[in-house]
Amino acid sequence: MAESNNGQVSTASGIPVKDIYTPEDVKNINYDKDIGAPGKPPYTRGVYASMYRGQLWTIRRLTGYDSPEATNARYKEEYALGQTGFSIAPDISTPSGMDPDDPRVAHDIGHAGVPIYSIEDMETVFKDLPIEKCSAYLADRVGGLLTPAYFAMAQKRGIPLDQVRGTTANDMLTWSSMELANQPPPEAYFRLSTDLIEWCAQYAPRWYPISMNSYNPRDNGITAVQELGMLMADVIQYCDEGKRRGRVPLDKFCKRFAFNMAANNDLFEEICKLRAARRMLRKIINERFGVQDPACGQFRVHVQTSGSSHTHQEPLNNVIRIAYQTLAAVLGGAQSIHANGYDEAVCLPTEQAMLLAIRTEQIVGLETGVTNTIDPLGGSYYVEALTNEIESRTWDYIKKIEDQGGLLKAITNGWIHREYKQAIIDYDRKLKTGELTIIGVNKFRLDPDKVPYKVPIFKSDRKSVDVLKKRIKKLRETRDSARHAQAMKKLDEVLRSDANSFPAVKDAVEAHATPGELGAAVMKVYGKWTYPIGV
Amino acid sequence: MAEKKVKVLMAKPGLEGHWRGLISVSQAFKDAGFEVIYGASMHPAEIATTALQEDVDIVGLSILCSNYMELVTEVAKELKANKKDDVIVLLGGIIYEEDFAALHKMGVDGIFIPGTPLDDIVASVRQIIAKGKKKVAK
Repeated sequence: MAESNNGQVSTASGIPVKDIYTPEDVKNINYDKDIGAPGKPPYTRGVYASMYRGQLWTIRRLTGYDSPEATNARYKEEYALGQTGFSIAPDISTPSGMDPDDPRVAHDIGHAGVPIYSIEDMETVFKDLPIEKCSAYLADRVGGLLTPAYFAMAQKRGIPLDQVRGTTANDMLTWSSMELANQPPPEAYFRLSTDLIEWCAQYAPRWYPISMNSYNPRDNGITAVQELGMLMADVIQYCDEGKRRGRVPLDKFCKRFAFNMAANNDLFEEICKLRAARRMLRKIINERFGVQDPACGQFRVHVQTSGSSHTHQEPLNNVIRIAYQTLAAVLGGAQSIHANGYDEAVCLPTEQAMLLAIRTEQIVGLETGVTNTIDPLGGSYYVEALTNEIESRTWDYIKKIEDQGGLLKAITNGWIHREYKQAIIDYDRKLKTGELTIIGVNKFRLDPDKVPYKVPIFKSDRKSVDVLKKRIKKLRETRDSARHAQAMKKLDEVLRSDANSFPAVKDAVEAHATPGELGAAVMKVYGKWTYPIGV
Repeated sequence: MAEKKVKVLMAKPGLEGHWRGLISVSQAFKDAGFEVIYGASMHPAEIATTALQEDVDIVGLSILCSNYMELVTEVAKELKANKKDDVIVLLGGIIYEEDFAALHKMGVDGIFIPGTPLDDIVASVRQIIAKGKKKVAK
């Protein structure tokens, strides 16, 4: 229970909570207009008519280890355990756009994530896995090679581009929330990710070309309302751009937006956040942008349990937090869930933690009965009142972002990062005053010697680093250098123009351009972003 | 005579990009009256030259990746090369107990794992300052 100094009980984001909710609190709700049936606008109760009765959510965990071979082995294990989607955690080369033999990454290469430097590496990662039955989630740098490499792999396997399924996560909100080496300014993220949306709308219509992602921003300490506000402002910014460009009809442009949110500790607030998100997206797409197609404005969301909520102290306590956060995602109607490893605040997940995370999702889904009926909390006086209150506060927050000139401007002018910083200060203060309770950290804290267990620790096998360096060297030596040079020249020209950049990125990847070369191509045109945070 | 303000450089020598802890601790130091230079992500050599140029008393490093042994080794080497190895070095992040002794030997004076109350960090740093930098065993 979050209780402030004046005795007011409130949610984690500071929404006052009454001792009891009654019909009085929901009397202004019009069921058909505000809530309605699942699968029908405004989708408050769920994006699909049958929800989990038709199909359980996709169990999808972000995984990537030492080498493409090791990651492939891990994916096969996960598939055998019943995981139905794969989410590539790339190594440092992908987010930084630097090759493994670049001296700037010497200390970071090989510690976390899978190195993917070519179409062949992508093929190794997915070797013997039925990609037509599973979907992939690619956390790709803008102008990066994961998406083109995945497309090329699918085509080689005989899956046409208009059938290939998966998601590219290259959204400006997420990538700008992290400080990265070799980082271009948000304008570059925005332009290149919009290019992919446009291109996929025409050539890969089953692919989700963007996953608008507020998970990482949330881990910067912001509240559920701020998280949702930034995410919806992101939608508005991209739709405005699609409309401004006018190269693809807006209903096609926005049809395959996917979303990624966090599930944090306040169970009801997280559930209501997801319910409010569905209603708000539909309003934005339909009322603000005038798109009629009911398939547009469906808030299809991947939810991950909040890494920042997991504690280093007494790591097994995180098992419980993750289970409740998974429950919040389920009661909130998520399409895909990543339950974290309980050792998230300790190391990369061990096999034990990975198994437990998958089992957590399966136990919630198949044992507890919470999936028996759709949106089981719909109609609860509290849940409906809180959903309304979150929505109302989120519209106010979006207004603040729009007062900055929209999300892109709010990021480039430093406003968003000031919000992050203030959120961190507020969070630290609440932890100190006890306004926020974290068991084992600021309440019932044990002396480390009194904790009667230790958890196993995963350690990376960095022996593979030399293998990676050799691999990329060989790649550079054996590729068709004339074709490569031509593709890179074309990429540079396209990046300097207003044309859609994705075909040129795709050609460059097919000509064996490396992550470092692709990163450098973007940096050459856009320059380096000075990260707007400090104290 | 007024006490000289403690000057601290806060930086991330690695590339992993988690800056929340660095902000939290930087802000706590600022609130405690220290002069904080927020270096953000900096290469080990840059950390050392900045520490020298700014004449800081403390270098605070935040690392949330398992490459901390390598990175700290590199920072220590650069500090020595810049004749700035008398500076107090703090390390925050996911650091395993089994490595504490080796890190202290490299010249790390204070190690703080996630979830350490900010007040405790400030209090320990004041103690370290009071005791003075222990000379590293050669």
